[in-house]
Amino acid sequence: MKPVKIAMMALTHGHTRKYYQTLRENSKLDWVASCAADQRAKEVYELYDTGVPCYLSAEEMFEKHPDIEAVVIASANDQHLKEMRLCAERGVHILSMKIPTFDPAEYDEMIQMVDKAGIVCQIELEMHYNPVVKRLQQLIASGEIGKILSVQATNITLSPVWAFPWQGSPEASYGKRVPLRAGDARFRGGALCDHPHIFDLIRWLTGSDFDYVYSEVAPNLRPDIEVEDMILVNGKMKNGVAFLFDPSWSRMEERLAVPAPGWEVFPKRMEVNVTITGEKGTIVCDCFGPNVYHNGAPNDRYTVQYTYFDEWIGLIDEFVTCIREHKTPKINLKWHRQTIDCMNACYASVQSGLPAKV
Amino acid sequence: MKLKEMNEALQGLREKYAVQADGVLVACAAGSWGAAAELEINGKRCKLLPWRVERRFIELKKLVDGKTLEDVSTLRFASMVSGGGVEKLLYRELDLCAFLGEAQVRSIFAVMNGATANLVVKLADGKSCSVECSAALPAGTLPMDRHEIIARRGVACDRTVDTQVPQASIYEFTATGEKRFTDTDTELFGFETDEILLIRAAFAMLSNPSIAEEWNAVDALLARQVADALATEKNGKPVIY
Repeated sequence: MKPVKIAMMALTHGHTRKYYQTLRENSKLDWVASCAADQRAKEVYELYDTGVPCYLSAEEMFEKHPDIEAVVIASANDQHLKEMRLCAERGVHILSMKIPTFDPAEYDEMIQMVDKAGIVCQIELEMHYNPVVKRLQQLIASGEIGKILSVQATNITLSPVWAFPWQGSPEASYGKRVPLRAGDARFRGGALCDHPHIFDLIRWLTGSDFDYVYSEVAPNLRPDIEVEDMILVNGKMKNGVAFLFDPSWSRMEERLAVPAPGWEVFPKRMEVNVTITGEKGTIVCDCFGPNVYHNGAPNDRYTVQYTYFDEWIGLIDEFVTCIREHKTPKINLKWHRQTIDCMNACYASVQSGLPAKV
Repeated sequence: MKLKEMNEALQGLREKYAVQADGVLVACAAGSWGAAAELEINGKRCKLLPWRVERRFIELKKLVDGKTLEDVSTLRFASMVSGGGVEKLLYRELDLCAFLGEAQVRSIFAVMNGATANLVVKLADGKSCSVECSAALPAGTLPMDRHEIIARRGVACDRTVDTQVPQASIYEFTATGEKRFTDTDTELFGFETDEILLIRAAFAMLSNPSIAEEWNAVDALLARQVADALATEKNGKPVIY
C-alpha cells in the first residue's frame, strides 16, 4: 500500500502530541508537513523535534507540499469549519478532532462539503480503538450479562485550559458565547465539550440513540474560568437504557503552559470508567487501568504513570484504510451528529432546569 | 500457545512497520527455564526475554532512567503461579533485577521450601533485591506478581497502593461467578498476554537484530544464576560473582 502523505494542521489541540509517534512510525504514512496556528504552537511543536517542517500558514503548507493527501486538523473547535473548507477544496482527506462543531448549521455544511468533495472525514474518538473497550463490546455482544438495563460512565480529567487556553474560551470551544443559564456568570464550552467519548460509547454499546437527558452544573472547582468544569448528566436511551454520566474536569492540575510530568494533582489525571448493568450480570470497567504508579519527581506526589495508551495506532490505521480502500470510517460526521446533538441537549437542560429531548 | 497465529501476527507487524529482518517463533524445549518460545533467524535460535518488552516494566524502567526516581536503593519483587517449578520464576525475576536495577547480580542467597523460594540478591552497585517466588498457588488461580522500586526519591510499583493482588481492567459478575479481563494491546487483540509478549519480543528483535546476541548471553547468565541460586539453599552460603 502506497503510504499516505499526511500533514498536521494548527497544533493547538490537546491531542496533538499523541499523533507524533504514530505518524512517524507507521509505514503506511509519510508525514510531510505541519502548520501551526500561531508562533506559540510552533514553538511547542519544535520542542518535540519531529524533523517535519512546520509552517505558520496552511496555504503556504499546501503550496509547498501539493502532494498532501490527508490532514489531521488539530485545532480549536471554532477553527474546524474554515480548515475543513481548505481541505475539502483541495480534495484532502480529514481527520477531525472530537468536536467538529456545536453549531447545527455548520455541522450540516461540513457534511455537505465532505460528501461533495468525496473525501474521507473521520472523527477522532479514540476510545473505539481502546483494547479494553473492544473487550467490553465483545462481552456485551456475547449476551453474558443479558439485556442492558443501565450504564454509568465517567470521563473525568484535569482541565487542559492552562495549556490549551481555547478550551476555556466559550467562543473557541463552543463556537459562541452562550450563558449556562439565567443568573450564572459562566458560559457553555467547558468540561462537557472536552468529553464526548462516553456519549459516543453508549450509542455503540447499546445500539440505541438518545431519547432525553437531564443535566446539572455544580460550582466550579476553578472559579477563575468562564466555562463549566463540573457537570453531571443522566437520561435515557430510546431503548429504555438508563444512564448517568460524569464528564467533568474534576481532577485538579498544575497550571502548566505545556503538558509535562507533574501536571496532575490528583494521582490519575484522566479516567474513563464504565459500569454496565444487565439483566443477567454486571460489568465494571476501567478503560485506562491498571497502570504503573510512583511518587517521584517532579512533585513527589502519588501519580499514575499511564502504561497502555495505544488508541491512536488503531485510529490512524482505520483512517489510512478508509483513504486507500475508499471506505467510510466508523466514526464519520453523520454518525457523530447524534452525539453532538445530545451534548447540546445537555446544555439546553442546564439552561432550562428540565430534561431535554435529544 | 498458538504459534501459527503468532507468526502471522509477527509478519503483520513486520509489514506494517517495514521491518526488513525476518524470523519465526518456535517453541522452546520442554523444561526450559526461559520464555516459552524462541525466535529462529536464518536458522539460528535466539532466546527471547519477553518481560523486557512488557509495557509495565518499560514504564518502570523509564521512571528510573528519566530520574523520576532518584537514587534507587532496593527492589522488592514477588511472583506466584500455580504449578511448575520456581526455576522459571527465578529466571524472569533475576533478569528483572538486573534490567530494572540497571546493574549485574553480584550475589544471591536463597531459602527454599517445597515450591517456594525467597531470595536476597545484591547488585554490583550495592542495591538490594528481595525476590519472593512460589509455584504453590492452587490450580486454576491466576498468576500474581509485584515489582516495587524503592528510591531515596520516590517509590514506583506495578501494583497500586492498598492492593495485594493485580487489578484487572474489566470485572464481569454473573450467576456463574466473576471473570476478569485485562487487554493492553490493540494490534494484537485476541492473543493471551504471554503470547502478545512473545510476539512483541520477537518483533523487538527483528527491529533491532543486535539484541539477539545480547539476549542469548543474558540467557546463559540467567541459567547459571538460577542453578547457583538453587544451590545456595543446599550450600548454606550465598553465591558471589
